[in-house]
Amino acid sequence: MSQAVVLYATTLLVYAGVDIMACWGLNLQFGVTGIYNFAFIIFQAAGAYTTGVLTLGPDTANGGFQHYIFGSTWPFPLPILMGGVVAGVLSLLIGLVTLRRLRSDYQAMVMLVLAVIATLVAENLATFVNGDSGLALIPQPLSNQITSVTGYQWWFVAFTAFACLVVYFFVRRITSAPLGRALRAVRDHEYAAAALGKNVASLRLFSFVAGGVIAGISGGILVSFITAWSPGSWLYVETLVLLTAVIVGGMGNNFGVMLGAMLVPVAFNEITRYLPQFGRPGLIDAFQWIVIGSLSMGFLWFRPQGIVPERRRKYKPPAELGVGATGAVGPGAGGPEPATVPDGRL
Amino acid sequence: MFHLVFASTLVESVGFGLVTASILAIAAVGFTLQFGVSNMLNLAYGDIMTAAAFGAYEVNKAGAPLWVSFIAGMATGAVTSVLLHRYIYRPFVRRGTQLVGLVIVALSAAVIIQNALLAGFGATFFTLKLPHTSTVHVAGATLTVLQLVIIGIAVAAMLAVDAMLRRTRLGKAMRATSGNPALARACGINTNRVVDTAWLIAGGLCGLAGVLLVLNTASFESTTGSDFLVITIAAAMLGGVGQAYGAMIGAVVLGVVTEVAAAYTRSSFKEVIAFAVLVIIVLIRPQGMFGQPVTALTMNKEVVN
Amino acid sequence: MNRLVLRNMLRLKPLACLCATFATVFALSACGSSGGSGGGGSAGSPDTGTDTLTFAAFNTFSGPNATFGPEQLAGCGPAAQAIVAAGGVLDHKTAVCNPEDSRGDPADAVPAAQQVIATSGHLVGVLGPGSDEAPATIPLFNRSHIPMFSDAGQGLFDKSTFKYFWRILPADDAVGYAMALYAHQQGYTRVASVFGTSIGAQGSAPTVAAGFKKLGGTITTAQLLALDQSSYRSEVAQMAAAKPQAIFIELDPQTAATYLSEVQQLYHQVPIIGTDGTTQPPWLKAVAGAIGKTTVQKFYVGAQPYAPTTGPAHKLWLTQLHGATSGVAKPVSQWENDSYSEAAWDATNIIALAMELSKSTNPIVYNTYITKVTSPGHVIVHDFAQGKAAILAGKAITYVGTTGPITFDQYQNSPGSFEINKSDASTVKTYSAADLQSAK
Repeated sequence: MSQAVVLYATTLLVYAGVDIMACWGLNLQFGVTGIYNFAFIIFQAAGAYTTGVLTLGPDTANGGFQHYIFGSTWPFPLPILMGGVVAGVLSLLIGLVTLRRLRSDYQAMVMLVLAVIATLVAENLATFVNGDSGLALIPQPLSNQITSVTGYQWWFVAFTAFACLVVYFFVRRITSAPLGRALRAVRDHEYAAAALGKNVASLRLFSFVAGGVIAGISGGILVSFITAWSPGSWLYVETLVLLTAVIVGGMGNNFGVMLGAMLVPVAFNEITRYLPQFGRPGLIDAFQWIVIGSLSMGFLWFRPQGIVPERRRKYKPPAELGVGATGAVGPGAGGPEPATVPDGRL
Repeated sequence: MFHLVFASTLVESVGFGLVTASILAIAAVGFTLQFGVSNMLNLAYGDIMTAAAFGAYEVNKAGAPLWVSFIAGMATGAVTSVLLHRYIYRPFVRRGTQLVGLVIVALSAAVIIQNALLAGFGATFFTLKLPHTSTVHVAGATLTVLQLVIIGIAVAAMLAVDAMLRRTRLGKAMRATSGNPALARACGINTNRVVDTAWLIAGGLCGLAGVLLVLNTASFESTTGSDFLVITIAAAMLGGVGQAYGAMIGAVVLGVVTEVAAAYTRSSFKEVIAFAVLVIIVLIRPQGMFGQPVTALTMNKEVVN
Repeated sequence: MNRLVLRNMLRLKPLACLCATFATVFALSACGSSGGSGGGGSAGSPDTGTDTLTFAAFNTFSGPNATFGPEQLAGCGPAAQAIVAAGGVLDHKTAVCNPEDSRGDPADAVPAAQQVIATSGHLVGVLGPGSDEAPATIPLFNRSHIPMFSDAGQGLFDKSTFKYFWRILPADDAVGYAMALYAHQQGYTRVASVFGTSIGAQGSAPTVAAGFKKLGGTITTAQLLALDQSSYRSEVAQMAAAKPQAIFIELDPQTAATYLSEVQQLYHQVPIIGTDGTTQPPWLKAVAGAIGKTTVQKFYVGAQPYAPTTGPAHKLWLTQLHGATSGVAKPVSQWENDSYSEAAWDATNIIALAMELSKSTNPIVYNTYITKVTSPGHVIVHDFAQGKAAILAGKAITYVGTTGPITFDQYQNSPGSFEINKSDASTVKTYSAADLQSAK
């Protein structure tokens, strides 16, 4: 494989890793807890901007072409971690205010409007994060220490993979624990969960903040790789792309979401680049987007439950109750039948 | 002296805001009607507005007078909306796809429509040919005759929608279907036909809003309508989704707020301020100004078409 | 932690999948790269003698700035065809210019750029990247040793250290000084500044204001507009209240059409002085649609890079533009005086001549010859065919293309002179870099 192909492949791997992490975070909020977070992308953006300004240094340096708040140079990996923290704080603030009992469609639309507000503020307040131009020429972590071009790419792939593992353990720990069951209960039967004494509001907030932190870290890693970030990269539509990935993959379960993240943001975008050129210039590029839209719709039509649907969870009731298959009650009245909990709705 | 200046700027920007509000009102009412009968967040709405604008443009280019272009735009909007609903949205709903899945379907449809327009018409800018208009001074605000016509068309459209909803059988059937589809069916209403007709009418409003929008912006391309989508949704939400009268009021509020904000603060924040107003109102009153209060029954309201 | 929890945590499927993917690609590349191009690694495959030379017009072909890509292609495509007609470069008889959509933002552009580098065959030059995607993709093309002639306007690249980055168009900030100087020379003392919140405007708005103030003028109102709104009446009323004599403007085509039509309604038509973003065909088309073609011709001027509309280079450009068999968006006439397309045509010629002169199609070799084919004092040539003939006759050449003479500074920028043009491309004034000093 030539160097150029290696660079392309490793770029896609990093993108896949970042999208997988982001989708796991979104899955935690939406797939597991049922929060319609249509503003997800702004948390990734917050993490990216934080990492950027903490790596670029003060904005008066380097010719003063970029204008942003609070520039500094922190050592790797602190900027990325701080990106997660800032995104977490932002999601805490937003969650406290918006995660009330809004109807699902209202919640979705309020979040979407918040995302649009965030984009407008970033674009129009030129000294905040350098407006529409965004941040540029962000130094890559350890780029002075690793000088081989392909070697650096592989190092970054390994780092992204490591971050994926960490996020995976974190998410897995939540979803397989009783906390996960509580979150799914909040998603499926909110009033029943409340009746059982679960603090629905704080469970939601926890999930929202956890997902926000993951989003921030994914943004920090992405911006460290691509060295630039501007409002065009985080329009509100991007949240819907990630949601498509979560649903196409199979929401509620981490493996499916991972497949979805590799398929929708990465594969759909890349495969369409290879459509042959025809017609006047720009025609094929419009067609690429038509194909992307059709693929999303097609997947939702032919496989609405997702590629890997959420597992129905089986719980064995305690043996001493002796509830039999036929409903007969009494000791030894038939083996204990596993009770099934319905999977999450789309 | 300062008060006079202050007041005249206010009157002036309120006047300007009414023009924006007119377009927004037509768009928001159409959007909210579609939501009311189908519980569907039609994110392709903005791109259907663009499609309608192109429809009007083609007719206009062939030499037809302006009012014929209006009809062409409305027809394009209506037909596209009905086709979209019948052959894409409704099949997904019948399969049990729920809110987020439907939103993604709508977004995919939006991407397809916008890029089909880009592919068909190319990456350049278009204008509807207008007869030259003069300006008039109305109560302290300076408006062109065209803008007054836009306000007039909006008022007429709102009155027509009001009359339809309140006085015709179709309107009553639409309100019944919005409120409780199963009960409406039980009462013998052919909900399928009512919903189709609602989409046709709402699509016509969408098309009309699209044509008026591009008359106002004086130039448009394939992305123009989708820029207008979020403020349309905002106006509909402000009034309470599904509530046509609420959408009208929401449109007036947002239209006036954007222009007044531009007059008194930085122009680049006019939309931010309008959206901030929306978010604040929705947080205080989650159902919008005129929406149904949130109850256990209305939570997770399902679509049963 | 107990074994049950550990077992639950280590659910193997996603982990196995992740590990397998990374491992496979790593192994494949380890196998391949040891046998592949060594050393610094050149772009794509090494020179195999006669393969097709590929130029990539890497810019936005979709979304709100979908006009930028076809603009580059309209220059590069005809140049590539003319290169073929002149017998190709060295032993390479064929050359093409491919449109490559960057999709308009850094995050989408990075995989696009890597894909272009990996799959373009013998990639010899990039026309672009544009402002939207430049910061993220310039480093990528640079490390793969692909010369870029970029239309990005950020002042950030005025002092670029990227060896493969070349710019023969001025940055956004320089344009502002030209506009200020013109307004001053026209005798205006009170001018309104109306800019959008776009990348280009971020560069030019401050320098217009600073330059005009230095020359003794007053900026009556400085507005920064959110783009693509349905109405700007309040902003226009605000601007009109200060009674300016003229307007400095950079807005995208639709916003400009909306704003200027409202200026006509609420104030009266005043002279409009635009940046080079406004001299492009889509902008002129949109605004002409809004306020009328005669009004635009009468009241509008735009500052753009000096590109003479007469002269042998321009004639060759027009011939090749109209003779192109594909790749040029219709109507072809819209590109005749588009300085971005003209710059792309010049860039393609320069790259081809650099290859011819260095007798190599390896970018690591010919990149340094780019200054050699443009430095002054040698035989003047105006297109690739002339340059190739001169080189084959053993002469040193100075390429003077349709954008005029090119002098690269130490940062590989050649900002050149400016001209103030009306909408029919007739030139009203020209300013050299020295002239602009009075405004700085």
